[in-house]
Amino acid sequence: MSDVTIIARSPIAPAAPVRVETGWEVSGCRSDAALTITDCTPLTKVHVRAPWNGAMAKALGVPFGLAARENGWLMVGSGPGEWLVLAPPGTAEHVAGRLTETAAGSAPEEFVSVIDLTHGRALVRVTGEQAPDLLALLCGVDLDGDMTPDGAAFRSGLAGVATDVVRDDRDGTRSYLLHCERSSGQYLFDSLLGAGESLGIGVDGFTAPGI
Amino acid sequence: MSAPPTTMRLATPRPGEEIDRARSFTFTWNGRTIAAFPGDTIVSALAASGERVLSRSYKYHRPRGVLTASYHDPGCFFQVGDEPNVRGAHRLAEPGMDVHSQDTWPSLRFDVKAVNQLAGRFLGPGFYYKTFIKPQRLWPLYERVLQRFVHAGHVPPDTPRVTVDKRYAHPDVLVAGGGPAGMAAAAAAAAAGASVLLVEEEYRLGGHLRWGGDADLAALRELRELVAGTPGIEVLTNSVVAGRYDGNWIAVVRRGLPGGAEQLIKARARMLVVAPGLIERPYVFAGNDVPGVMLATAARRLINLHAVKPGRRAVVLTANAEGDAAVADLREAGVEIAGVVDARTGGDLVRVHGHRGVRAVEVAGGDTIECDLVVTAVGWTAPTALLNMSGDQPTYDPRAARFFPGALPEDVLATGGIAGDGTRDQLIGHAEAAGREAARRAARQRSQTRAMLPAHANGHGGSWPPADEQPVRLPELPVDPHPELFRASTHGMVDFCEDVSSKDLVTAIGEGYDSIELAKRYTTATMGPTQGKLEVVNAVAIAAQATGRTIGETGTTTWRPPYAPVTLGALAGRPWEPVRYSPMQPWHESHHASPLIAGAWIRPDRYGDPAAEVAAVRTKVAVIDVTPLGKLDLRGPDVPNLLNLLYVNKWSKLEIGRVRYGVMCTEDGVVFDDGVTGRLGPEHYLMSTTSSGAAAVWEWLENWLQTTHPDWAVHVTPVTTAYASMNVAGPASRELLERVTEGVDLANEAFPYMQVRTGRVAGADGCVLWRIGFTGELSYELHVPAGYGLHVWETLMDRGADLGIVPFGVEAQRILRLEKGHFIVGQDTDGLTRGFSAALDWAIKLDKTDFVGKPELAWQNADGGGPRLVGLQPDDGTVVPAEASQIVEGQRIVGRITSSRMSPTLGRSICLAQVEPRLAKPGTQVTVRLPAGRRIPARVCEHLAHFDPDGSRMRV
Repeated sequence: MSDVTIIARSPIAPAAPVRVETGWEVSGCRSDAALTITDCTPLTKVHVRAPWNGAMAKALGVPFGLAARENGWLMVGSGPGEWLVLAPPGTAEHVAGRLTETAAGSAPEEFVSVIDLTHGRALVRVTGEQAPDLLALLCGVDLDGDMTPDGAAFRSGLAGVATDVVRDDRDGTRSYLLHCERSSGQYLFDSLLGAGESLGIGVDGFTAPGI
Repeated sequence: MSAPPTTMRLATPRPGEEIDRARSFTFTWNGRTIAAFPGDTIVSALAASGERVLSRSYKYHRPRGVLTASYHDPGCFFQVGDEPNVRGAHRLAEPGMDVHSQDTWPSLRFDVKAVNQLAGRFLGPGFYYKTFIKPQRLWPLYERVLQRFVHAGHVPPDTPRVTVDKRYAHPDVLVAGGGPAGMAAAAAAAAAGASVLLVEEEYRLGGHLRWGGDADLAALRELRELVAGTPGIEVLTNSVVAGRYDGNWIAVVRRGLPGGAEQLIKARARMLVVAPGLIERPYVFAGNDVPGVMLATAARRLINLHAVKPGRRAVVLTANAEGDAAVADLREAGVEIAGVVDARTGGDLVRVHGHRGVRAVEVAGGDTIECDLVVTAVGWTAPTALLNMSGDQPTYDPRAARFFPGALPEDVLATGGIAGDGTRDQLIGHAEAAGREAARRAARQRSQTRAMLPAHANGHGGSWPPADEQPVRLPELPVDPHPELFRASTHGMVDFCEDVSSKDLVTAIGEGYDSIELAKRYTTATMGPTQGKLEVVNAVAIAAQATGRTIGETGTTTWRPPYAPVTLGALAGRPWEPVRYSPMQPWHESHHASPLIAGAWIRPDRYGDPAAEVAAVRTKVAVIDVTPLGKLDLRGPDVPNLLNLLYVNKWSKLEIGRVRYGVMCTEDGVVFDDGVTGRLGPEHYLMSTTSSGAAAVWEWLENWLQTTHPDWAVHVTPVTTAYASMNVAGPASRELLERVTEGVDLANEAFPYMQVRTGRVAGADGCVLWRIGFTGELSYELHVPAGYGLHVWETLMDRGADLGIVPFGVEAQRILRLEKGHFIVGQDTDGLTRGFSAALDWAIKLDKTDFVGKPELAWQNADGGGPRLVGLQPDDGTVVPAEASQIVEGQRIVGRITSSRMSPTLGRSICLAQVEPRLAKPGTQVTVRLPAGRRIPARVCEHLAHFDPDGSRMRV
């Protein structure tokens, strides 16, 4: 069995054509629509818990409600004392290891836990200037640029599913990362597609590193 | 084909007309072809064609025509295609429309149901409290008769469904009303930096300016250009603010979407500016509902917006400038003015003569004037609904004969006619000030909100100019005097929708319903589609007169949302029904699993014959998808403390690699959840819960940690769907797993029952393997990183083919666990089942220092109270009692069947049951009453398990 190469699958069925990217089955389709949705589930997702105001929090450098890029990772302050680190696919062991080292070095007295949730979350990205209009059909949070500026992170309900939202603009274009527990991923994706139909949404396939 | 005649259409265009004479089309009205122009409403086109009778009234089926020529016109509800209750005086005509009158038979002109008028004395207010009651055996007949008189259109069952997503909005300022005040307020607010949502009920902005004179039209153009040219204003026309709730949570309904759909917009506005204008009030007098009697605004709309003569010879009752302007417009339109009755100098109307149309009107003083049109202008109703919903109590001013706003909350302003009178410039000036002040207050709120948001901590997100602390002063508006004109010397219609006359109201008050709320409910006045907009002030005035009180003392009824009708489709929007899938769902579907809806999960119930699946588990190997099982990752030095607190049994000495079964009870000792928890590392545990209890148990753990033991170092992370979970069960399960597992010695000596290991399965690292079993056979529960779940499942099916592997579903699992006597929380227990009632005597450790539920369980143990869970078998093994069948002694219920199945393994029926403690002794015979009433004997078993009670098969 040791030489078996296995492919990981997202909970979201990939649109044809299907290909393999860094060990994950992904969609290879491309869209030039002004509003696009991409299944980014293959991204590494590592969850960190630590005291919200302690040394580990300081070392991570991202407070609750904000997200910031560092060394190719996107660090998200997803809750008080709770962080989610997003990184390119296939790097979970490395990321978790680095975070554990950080905890040992910067906060040896604190109670810190680092858990790989790569397989536990579905993650999609919605990009386009009409992205807030799309999300306004599913989410009651004020997405005005002032209330949720680039880098804002919050947790809300989207189409009835508890979803973490990160505003992560791409090249000056509005973009949001949305993630929920894995089993609701297909439903969330379908809900976004259904609501986005009137806005001309298109499905864009995942391309590594994706973050 | 030549166009049908439009006898009442003006040949000369009107300066502000909204029809496009360059194009024309036709639609049908009760089968007749009617000509129209773009911009015509259904009613204006009908009026242009000379149609006068447009509907029949609700109760008495009296002929009705145009009254207000607006959305709220009570005589203009039509069936348009498959859409009922279309507001014909508002809906724009479209080519090919199929329009019908509603609830008339056989026709609008000859409506047999008008016979109701002959029974008028029996259909007075509250008649349904006094009639159609006895004899009760005739109720089915009464229902059939009354159904024929339901006054509404019909919705064909095959009407296509249109789903429109609801939308959330967060404007700084929401302006309700797009007349001159609303437009001015919106532009001023936007110019001051606010984001503005401007909502207007009609198709175009402008309010009364649209049918005004040259100066009004000039002001209209200017304001429309201003709104269009000011950035930051979203304009919604053909939309209505349906309700205002706490915190300026405002419902806006956007109409006119394709397919007749509506959209509900849920807006959280920092400021609400109420600028609805005024609604003209009808006058109550005999014959005031005869076709040809209409309001001044109706006449002016028809003439100036649609170039339609509302009649040929008119009498006008005027008490204000609107009535005077109507006289001028009528003259310009070529209508002969047979009389102007000035109420300001004591003039009045007495009664209208005519039935299907006005023939003459009798004025005070005795003269009767022949005419076909009676126009009234007797005053205004302030639509204060949104103010009332904001907590305001408007007050009545007899000088102006209408209500005015009282004290408004900080986040609501009122402007325009609802706030006062004055010249156009005065009103616009007031509105501009209101807009600027609304923007100022909104900016202040925005600053306060920003300061609280984590996204703006430490200066992230940039700076924002501070809000201006200096309030904008709203100028005082004059209040013009207006005579109080509500009812003439005769009785007439008050509520046109409900066919309630002033005489009905007086009668109701005479019967003792002498408050306006009681009179409303007894007569149904203000309870129809117009919801009081046209009739509430008249009703209050008549009630006041009848009770000898003032209007102020009488008060009004309560304005409640929605302000205007909302379709159920808008309220429903797109249904959000989250569905959860296992990673192996594609395999289940392709292998024809019957789906079971288990909460939000879709699970495979069976793939074929559950009995065959059971047999495979007992004799070969089978695999079930148990991904929905709750899984919580627990880390920290205090995890044993948490487990000891929340489970009824002991956890301090659980070694690494060991698994223990646990039961949680709530503080009242009731069984809450069960599952196994395994220790994966020094401070690392994995807890499993029931599928349906996963979220509740997570919340339970967090609740205790955060509120009672924040000092404990424990992190709980839900990983239910991080793992694809599958149970490989059967005598050949070890042999199969040995083929696909690396890094784990699966031999019984190395990996005995109730232990846990981690390793690689089918090439997937990070798998957790539990040696546990719900089925009673040698089995392994695999938890695989979810992305690899389908691969591992398919590998098992492939590598186990020669072993006869089959999938088994939830139904087979239920049979297997019942054979083994494993109870299911919520199936074999209920909301009152304490621990000892669930046969958990062996698990409950009352010698623990403390745990949740201990006191109650200690009491239960001491007094022996509560039923007992037992295994039960009917004497006749071919009878499978329905679950929940009662266990009885005579007529007394002494227990119930909680689980029941035919056991393929034993070839007989088996059950679990709750019985009174005295009946729980093995061998006791009890009587089961089946749902149809038959009683059968059954016997209490020695064990809960009907098969392999020693559990030897699991431990091989």
